[in-house]
Amino acid sequence: MGKRFATIWFHYLKTDWFCRYRPELLRLPFVLTAPDHGRMIITAVNPCAYHQGIVVGMVLADARAVVPSLKYFDDIPGLPQKLLTSIAKWCIRFSPIVTIDLPDGIIIDATGCAHLWNGEGSYLDSIAGRLIQIGYHVNAAMADTPGKAWAMAHFGEQRSIINSDEELTAFLFLPVAALRLEVETVIRLNKLGLRQIRDILSMPRSVLRRRFGNHLLMRLDQSLGQQEEIIQPVQPVEPYSERLPCLEPIVTATGIEIALKKLLEVLCKRLQQEGKGIRKLIFKGYRVDGNIQAIDIGTNSASSNADHLFKLFEIKISSIEPALGIELFTLDAPKVEDIHATQEKFWNKACGLENPGLIKLLDRVSNKMGDNKIHRFLPVEHHWPERSVKIAASINEKLTTQWRTDRQRPIYLLQHPEPIKVTAPIPDYPPMLFRYQNKLHKVKKVDGPERIEREWWIEEGQHRDYYAVEDEEGIRYWLFRSGHYSDKNYEWFIHGFFA
Amino acid sequence: MSYAELQVTSNFSFLRGASHPEELVEEAAAYNYSAIAITDRNSLAGVVRAHVAAKAKGIKFITACCLDLIDGASLLAYPTDKTAYGQLCSLLTKGNFRTEKGKCDLYKADVYEARKGIKFIIIPPPSLNPDLDFDPAFKKNIEEYQEVFSKDLYMAITRSYQGDDQKRFFRLSQLANRFNIPLIATNDVHYHHPARRQLQDVLTCIREKCTIHNAGFLLHKNAERYLKSVDEMFRLFRHYPDAIKRTQELSEACQFTLDNLNYTTPGELADDGKTLQQKLTAITWQCAKEKYEGNIPGKIIANINHELRFIEQMNYAYFFLQVYDFVCFARQQNILFQGRGSAANSSVCYCLGITSVNPEKFELLFERFISAERHEPPDIDVDFEHERREEVMQYIFNKYGRHRAAIVATVTQQHQKGSMRDVAKAMGLSLDAVNRLSASISGFGDEWFDKEKLTENGFNANDKLLRRVLELTAQYIGFPRQLGQHTGGFVITQENLSGICPILNARMENRTCIEWNKDDIDALGFPKVDVLALGMLTCIRKAFELAKQHYGLDLTLDNVPHDDPAVYEMICHADTIGVFQIESRAQQAMLPRLKPKTFYDLVIEVAIVRPGPIQGDMVHPYLKRRNGEELVEYPSKELEEILKRTLGVPLFQEQAMKIAIVAAGFTPTEADALRKSMATFKAQGLISKFEQKLITGMIKNGYSEEYAHRVFRQLEGFGSYGFPESHAASFAHLVYISAWIKCHYPDIFACALLNSQPMGFYQPAQIVADARNHTVDLRPIDINYSAWDSLLEEKVNKYHALRLGFRQIKGISKEDIEQLILHRKEFFTSIQQLRDIGLSKTTLETLADADAFRSIGLDRRQALWQVSASHDQPTGIFRGQQFNIEDEKKVSLPEMILSEHVVHDYASTSLSLKAHPVSFIREKLKLLHITSAAELSHLHDGDLIKVSGLVLVRQRPGTAKGICFITIEDETGSANLVVFPNIFQKFRKEILQSRLLMAEGKLQIEGEVVHVIVSTCYDLSKLLHHLAVSKEKELSLLTLSRADQTPSAIYPHQKSQGQKIIQKEIFPKGRNFR
Repeated sequence: MGKRFATIWFHYLKTDWFCRYRPELLRLPFVLTAPDHGRMIITAVNPCAYHQGIVVGMVLADARAVVPSLKYFDDIPGLPQKLLTSIAKWCIRFSPIVTIDLPDGIIIDATGCAHLWNGEGSYLDSIAGRLIQIGYHVNAAMADTPGKAWAMAHFGEQRSIINSDEELTAFLFLPVAALRLEVETVIRLNKLGLRQIRDILSMPRSVLRRRFGNHLLMRLDQSLGQQEEIIQPVQPVEPYSERLPCLEPIVTATGIEIALKKLLEVLCKRLQQEGKGIRKLIFKGYRVDGNIQAIDIGTNSASSNADHLFKLFEIKISSIEPALGIELFTLDAPKVEDIHATQEKFWNKACGLENPGLIKLLDRVSNKMGDNKIHRFLPVEHHWPERSVKIAASINEKLTTQWRTDRQRPIYLLQHPEPIKVTAPIPDYPPMLFRYQNKLHKVKKVDGPERIEREWWIEEGQHRDYYAVEDEEGIRYWLFRSGHYSDKNYEWFIHGFFA
Repeated sequence: MSYAELQVTSNFSFLRGASHPEELVEEAAAYNYSAIAITDRNSLAGVVRAHVAAKAKGIKFITACCLDLIDGASLLAYPTDKTAYGQLCSLLTKGNFRTEKGKCDLYKADVYEARKGIKFIIIPPPSLNPDLDFDPAFKKNIEEYQEVFSKDLYMAITRSYQGDDQKRFFRLSQLANRFNIPLIATNDVHYHHPARRQLQDVLTCIREKCTIHNAGFLLHKNAERYLKSVDEMFRLFRHYPDAIKRTQELSEACQFTLDNLNYTTPGELADDGKTLQQKLTAITWQCAKEKYEGNIPGKIIANINHELRFIEQMNYAYFFLQVYDFVCFARQQNILFQGRGSAANSSVCYCLGITSVNPEKFELLFERFISAERHEPPDIDVDFEHERREEVMQYIFNKYGRHRAAIVATVTQQHQKGSMRDVAKAMGLSLDAVNRLSASISGFGDEWFDKEKLTENGFNANDKLLRRVLELTAQYIGFPRQLGQHTGGFVITQENLSGICPILNARMENRTCIEWNKDDIDALGFPKVDVLALGMLTCIRKAFELAKQHYGLDLTLDNVPHDDPAVYEMICHADTIGVFQIESRAQQAMLPRLKPKTFYDLVIEVAIVRPGPIQGDMVHPYLKRRNGEELVEYPSKELEEILKRTLGVPLFQEQAMKIAIVAAGFTPTEADALRKSMATFKAQGLISKFEQKLITGMIKNGYSEEYAHRVFRQLEGFGSYGFPESHAASFAHLVYISAWIKCHYPDIFACALLNSQPMGFYQPAQIVADARNHTVDLRPIDINYSAWDSLLEEKVNKYHALRLGFRQIKGISKEDIEQLILHRKEFFTSIQQLRDIGLSKTTLETLADADAFRSIGLDRRQALWQVSASHDQPTGIFRGQQFNIEDEKKVSLPEMILSEHVVHDYASTSLSLKAHPVSFIREKLKLLHITSAAELSHLHDGDLIKVSGLVLVRQRPGTAKGICFITIEDETGSANLVVFPNIFQKFRKEILQSRLLMAEGKLQIEGEVVHVIVSTCYDLSKLLHHLAVSKEKELSLLTLSRADQTPSAIYPHQKSQGQKIIQKEIFPKGRNFR
């Protein structure tokens, strides 16, 4: 038996996908757009918009002139590749060899598969049917070459099956565009009056090669099965997950430790091969009584070091209650990141965040104390003091801006400024005395004022005049007056302490 | 106790300053400053405005500038006298010429050279270094400056509330003592009021291309850079009172004001020892004698005498001589020109040949245009052929040198859409929201803040961010954005221009322009001459050349026979496709109603279809009065004088202004200010003030309120699209000439028009069709006969045959065609010959697509078949061998049917001589009971009909209250459709999308004017798709495919991909004018 291929063509791949997540869009005309030379060009339309005359390639403004209610969203670059890949992976249940056909199709090598579905008709129906069910508009076709199947999917009926040579005629009457040619070639063929595949099939090959090059002949041969077309099947990624069933239920801590070590070893080996590391790991024990015991750890940077990971788990193992025993262990890594290999150094003198030892220490401390106990602060470009620092999301986060040194800032900034009582001569002389936490401070030295306005796009309110002051004990404080001295309702606050 | 502000950045430091120069000056005056300087970055662009405002407010203004140096600290420069000012201008000019437009590169050494008489202030860095001191580099800099400038140097001291002000002050006073440089107080002003800080922040974001949310430290931390009261300045500098006092010292030293600049006439004009007036008088009389062949009519003598006297009184002789000079050059070079503008329609200009409009034809009073009170220079614009204007400009640059002649700048202002986009983007709105916002809001005013309208467009009207965007946009509108180049206003002086104003390189090569715009030049009393370009003149010159070549006629703008009844007859029938100005649909509809019979009627025709008269509801009253349906009456005796010639209806700009003067008691200056304020955005408050004044003034003088409102609306319309009588007269002259050519030599007219494209309203297809209707024989493009331009061949009937040129073909290059013509020694007989002269395959394919191989017996398909093989050439030792396509196996290509040819003709050249596309579907249209365009005029008013045709033009003029006008064309002619807004909304898609539109509606016939009032529209574009495919093919496709539904129904796209690609852009989409 010869080869068989199925092709599925998605008319509205991208917009159908949008509708899956926003069903309210189903009955509305909408398009996806992308900027091109300063204009917004439509890159995808949904059926509703299409029937109102909107086509791909139009300028958005023109389309909106035609359909004022047209909704539009930004196109997502690389979306078809992503969608088709995931659909192709799903299609592996129909055949082990599935490939994507950008921008909007899938090719399945169905050789020897269809009989499992009781014939090609129901085979195609079950693939297309499922896709239609989840909201895609599809055409499907089967033929003995990918080329023919493609042609029939795009230019034939909704379900076309070309069995063998006797039905070749259907193929021959398709337009030349069905040969998967470049647009320019199609235009030129049309200009010459060669509109259908049969028109060119009857021509001498030398005449065709001379005018249209080898590509046309190659496509023709591929479609007719005179030249084999090689397809590159997709390969799914296995989840980062390991399991360890036990013959006897485990009840001891040592047993659990051994199980964990074994799982970590296998998982880390795989991670190392793939150049990945773990940010989050869950270890689960399935007890005989149906209860599931779980412990988890997180790391500050991706790691595939089994020993280190084990140490992080170690202190939590005691919280597992084996009861009557655990019969199955699993280890799942929900958050995996690439590890960027760094050059090993002979004398590793790196300090601070460069030092891997420090990161390991931080991992251990934070797993012991719990999250949100250890912070790293980063500077942010804001004049307003409360907003000028933020908590880093990861230990490796890069500085987006340098710490400022040209203005005096306290080493310890109060999260909320505290009101104080101040004696200061008007109009805007610095304070002489202030009372903070019931203690009177006499100001000896002072610098300022530094006037900082509100960031008007975030909030409205009074500006602040900051003074750095030193009391008679030599302790320095950061005080400010909120509001202009000429206002009646200004107030004084303390906002920080200098070293 | 007084203070002068010396460091002020206005919005002419683009995207830095956040206030207009006028606002700053007015605020300073309100605070009783003794003086204010404007110091923009390397520019003097804003000083004239500030100078004018300061004069009005009675505050001293110091012309100054901030010099940003590449190799040193920035300096503020204050010229003390005229020479010093000249040096400053030359310095900036030097910097401008060194680099590309919009930048200015200056070095220390340049400043040292130009330092004489200029006072400088050095600006210290904004903050101290970590050692709480100034950088050594800066100190060195000061030392150097001190040595060079010695006692002309000051050092700026500024309270910026950065926290270390006291330390800075201390360090600065240390430096001042050490180098003996006096400190001087400034406030580094960026806006006149602290409320503008938000706008300043937004400007910073626009400049740095970031949003307000990620701008970070690019923004200033506080709002202190505004003009403060004198008391506050004294308080801030209480420890340094001398610094404040020195501002007085410096401002007193600066005795230069822009009023010191005097215009000096270029010496070239008076080369023979006579005064300019004598020279002008002599030339005028001499020219007059030549013109009237020694027999000058008495009236003209009187006119000339009168005008010369007036010119002498106003001292304008140089101005006329200047224009005369350009015009003489143009005449020598055989470049067509035509003067227009206030002074152009004088007997003097007529005699000098500046204009060809004979002033005898209508009585234009000379002084009417040149207002003696305003003492503004006269205004003459000269239009030249658009293809050759550059020659005239280069003549001017060569004659006077680029240092003495320059083009006036145009300060492009922020328009609402642009400002809205910029502000919204800077405020971090998403691109999608920005687009929506700028699209949904039109027209400037309070309606922006209208809740309903915002909600309608999907915005939350209570959203603070949105309101802020709108507020900031309102402030931002009218800000100068960049210095552009005026369309052709020249300033020419005796001395170096760079001593008067900085000069910059224009974007175009070999041009220079100055930093000031037209209003600035006016304010300083400098004359300018406009050297403009006009496409129609190119066309007329080409027509004149053809007339000489083929008919032996020697035509000029002067000697075209006047008052030819045949021409007016043609115009009355609206047969005016291609005729200057009166070819538009609106004009065509007006012509049969107005029925122009004399030259002055044409003047009115040109002026009447304009926003001014239309907005002022002046059109219908005029028509009624003209046709005798309404009594000609005047609102008052005094207005009769003004309105007599237009039957009591104000149609021209100066009439409306005169009404304001006579009837509402405006002074001429006010009336002019009113007109000018209409054209700019920012004078919002001013306009309503004027409106009040005009209307109350007119009511007081006994006019009806309704009439007053109409006059005001008309003025509003004139503001931006003014058309004074003198311009209309000059244009009318060209209207007449182009109509005359069209009337008597349609072959020449069509040929010249085709060769001057793109211009005018119509596409080549309509020009060609129109020529055919006038029995001109049209011939297709052919490799053996055509040239780049269209040309006339032998005479076939009354006219010569017109051969289309290669320029009609889309996407062909002129060089290739020149190559082809160069080698066309004898008749080409094969494609191979063309290939041999080096034409590329693409070019040959383009020619094949245009069906240009007919003379060698190939139609486009056969030609393409041969061309597509032609890249396959004998190589190596076989090079040059005869290559024979016959050797190949014979292949029979399907024959191309006529309709397919037509489609491809359109695809390649946008026109077809073979047939009109609609003619192929006429059978189908008949089945639908569709009337052809030609039949319409034989039907009756009120008949219900259907018409169908290719869409030529869709228009929605702003004056028509949302009504859409569409012109469609079928093989018999064109039809005008009128679509009312409600119908437009309903059939929006059909109207905007179809190439072939079918409209159903009621016929409206008014004399010769035929309109269809549309009630329903259908898109019949699909019918055109079948033109390209032969029928049998398509049928076979349908019958053999097993589908029971029609294929196109199930497979929306891609099914007909191949066809569609071709179809897509073939038929012109129709032009949209909004």
